[in-house]
Amino acid sequence: MSEAEVTSPPTLHLSSGPHIASGRTTGQIMWMVNLSLLPALLWAWAVFGWPVLAVTASSILGCITAEYLACRIAKTESTVPDGSAFCSGLLLAFTLPPAIPIWMPFIGGVLAIVFTKAVFGGLGYNIFNVALVGRAMMMATFPVEMTTRWLTPALGNVDAVSSATVLAQIKLGGQEALNKILAAVPDGGHLWLDFFLGMRAGSVGEVSVLMIMLGAAFLFWKGIIKLYIPLSILVGVALMAPFSPAPTIYMLSGGIWLGAFFMATDYVTSPITPKGQIIFGLGIGLLTGIIRNWGGYPEGICYAIMLMNILTPALNDWFRPKRLTAGGAPS
Amino acid sequence: MSLFSWRNSALPTFSRGGVHPDEHKELTEHLPIEDFIPTNVYLPVSQSLGASAEPLVAKAAKVKRGDVIAKVPGGVSLHAPVSGIVKGVATGPHASLVYDTVITIQVKPSEDDPQFPEQFGWQTLPVAQMLERIRDAGVVGLGGAAFPTYRKLSLPKDAKVDTLVINGSECEPYLTCDYRLMLEESEKVVLGSWLIARIIGVANCVIGVEDNKQPAAEKLRQTIAELGLDKMEPPVKMTVVVTQTRYPQGSEKQLVQSLTGRMVPKGGLPLAVGVVVQNVATAIACLDAIRNGKPVMERVVTVSGRGILSPKNLRVPIGTSVEDIIAHCGGYAGDVVKILLGGPMMGRTIADLDVSVTKGTSGLLFLTAAETSITHYQPCISCGECVDACPMGLEPNRVSQYMEVGRPLETLQFGVKECFECGCCSYSCPSHRPLVQFMQVAKAAYRRQERKTT
Ligand code: SF4
Ligand code: SF4
Repeated sequence: MSEAEVTSPPTLHLSSGPHIASGRTTGQIMWMVNLSLLPALLWAWAVFGWPVLAVTASSILGCITAEYLACRIAKTESTVPDGSAFCSGLLLAFTLPPAIPIWMPFIGGVLAIVFTKAVFGGLGYNIFNVALVGRAMMMATFPVEMTTRWLTPALGNVDAVSSATVLAQIKLGGQEALNKILAAVPDGGHLWLDFFLGMRAGSVGEVSVLMIMLGAAFLFWKGIIKLYIPLSILVGVALMAPFSPAPTIYMLSGGIWLGAFFMATDYVTSPITPKGQIIFGLGIGLLTGIIRNWGGYPEGICYAIMLMNILTPALNDWFRPKRLTAGGAPS
Repeated sequence: MSLFSWRNSALPTFSRGGVHPDEHKELTEHLPIEDFIPTNVYLPVSQSLGASAEPLVAKAAKVKRGDVIAKVPGGVSLHAPVSGIVKGVATGPHASLVYDTVITIQVKPSEDDPQFPEQFGWQTLPVAQMLERIRDAGVVGLGGAAFPTYRKLSLPKDAKVDTLVINGSECEPYLTCDYRLMLEESEKVVLGSWLIARIIGVANCVIGVEDNKQPAAEKLRQTIAELGLDKMEPPVKMTVVVTQTRYPQGSEKQLVQSLTGRMVPKGGLPLAVGVVVQNVATAIACLDAIRNGKPVMERVVTVSGRGILSPKNLRVPIGTSVEDIIAHCGGYAGDVVKILLGGPMMGRTIADLDVSVTKGTSGLLFLTAAETSITHYQPCISCGECVDACPMGLEPNRVSQYMEVGRPLETLQFGVKECFECGCCSYSCPSHRPLVQFMQVAKAAYRRQERKTT
């Protein structure tokens, strides 16, 4: 038939197109998110010391163990390598007080994976943000440890256990408490600067707004997160800030930044279109304010995000991508 | 979407979606078109969309280059691309139909083979006669669609058309055959476009070329200036517009929007907004048909991919087998895992090396594992990449989720019927979901339902 003998390659694949892909994979995305959380983790380690790493390791271990076992039980290929369970563990640890007993984060991680992900069918099928469910369950199970095991930040020597976060103190004591806190700030210091840099008592990964922003900038640069959700959350929270005795502190604390850039942007549990994302973000911001100002918790973004997670399917139905059709400019 | 979305953002483009795959055109873009004539050609009688063709020759017949050897009743013809002897008329493989009647011709060139010289007075033929020549020459859309060109150019009486768009986008990665034609045969592209403008009666013609093919755009501009088409009768104002390099720039709806700003309505043709679109290679075929009476007998195919030893832009007779091309291009290089007819976004995989080049074959690609994506897919993580990438604004993610739970007939709301299978969605999906396949199966389910109810 031809000049030279030509045989078929041994493993020819048949499929419909396209036959090339962007190269981006789900695993890659998850590991990049994990990487972007590293600055915040290192900072926490620097100011709170070793307990931070212990808490983080424990929570990650809990998530990974549960994920591994869930896959074994479901007889599917292990999804541990895709990095999503690792990511949930890391994020859960970031919401915990650094001096919490070491075994608790493990339990939290297991509960989070089992009740949010595994029972719904694994990655992609969860309704709620996995890490936040873990935190909420721990709040219910270990209410005392979850609200008292804080550490005072100290670059170098750590140990002092402080009793409550600034937000909690203000929540309890109002203007008076705030004045006391402000009076305690040494001359030349700025409370807002401590909050921005992360020199304050708080949860593991949320104390430093700066470090969180570094990570978020990396994700934005890599095209992994868009800004519709985080920015509208910040706008929503800012709208409610005037109702608080300390608006600046209010904006810089309580995990708003971690929540806005890392929790609410979770693909699975947030809407797809820009409009849906803006409504979602504003909703979270406003709900956070309502919970903080009039609800029972000093923080609140955790519950705000979970409440809006419920609305995500509806937001996806209401705000659809604009079809390319005749007449007028498309979106 | 990539970070590159704003590069050259001053250039015209379509409004939504699209992707920027690696181009891989460097493998062949510098290679001049080479001729290759095999010892046998294998011609499936079906070469265009629509009704099937009947073979008109039998075994042992002697044929001359240009003889009609098969014909769609009342439609386009298939011509012997070479002179020789019919060795058989039997069932054989077809690139897209799986099987077809295949005419095998053993190539035997002779002194008196027809040469198809330029005919006198071709510029002033009546339009009806031009259309006849296009039909009789078997011209079909050579960009890949293979729709009979005379039918596309026979406009309905009430059609209001003011612009001809010539598609030189070649937005599929790897492919460079149109690029080489624009460089090497720019005069034919321009004259062919002028003829088509004449046929459809418009005085305005826009040639769209992607930004990554600047030399071609330059060459076309020069040629237009030299030929002075605005002084010909009838005059045609011809412009070359460089568009952003962005897949699927070469899709009709997207190209019309990029070049004219007009939106083709849902389910409609460019005709609805006064535009007719033709590919550059098709313009050349129209010129050959009208000026020289020369039928479509050969085409340029980009042979490329890391899996072939010497990539080439080859001009081959229609009917040249994949096997012969592999041998001519030095054989495989590396582990080939996919052989494609067409480009990597919309091309088809083949399993049989006896498949041959048809009029619509623009590329023959040999992809190694490193170039292509063969992996199993994962659940949808709702990242929205596919929605962002879809140039039609559809929701392939939702379609895929409905398909996975066995509800294909509830996917109309997500736009399945407007999907033209460009592949941008699957290309972008980090979970490697076969979204185009889901769309295809959903569409098939609707077609089945329609057949059953009518
Ligand atoms: S293949 Fe269909 S659904 Fe996918 S991007 Fe193209 S038009 Fe949209
Ligand atoms: S790109 Fe893939 S994972 Fe992302 S939304 Fe679309 S189907 Fe789901």
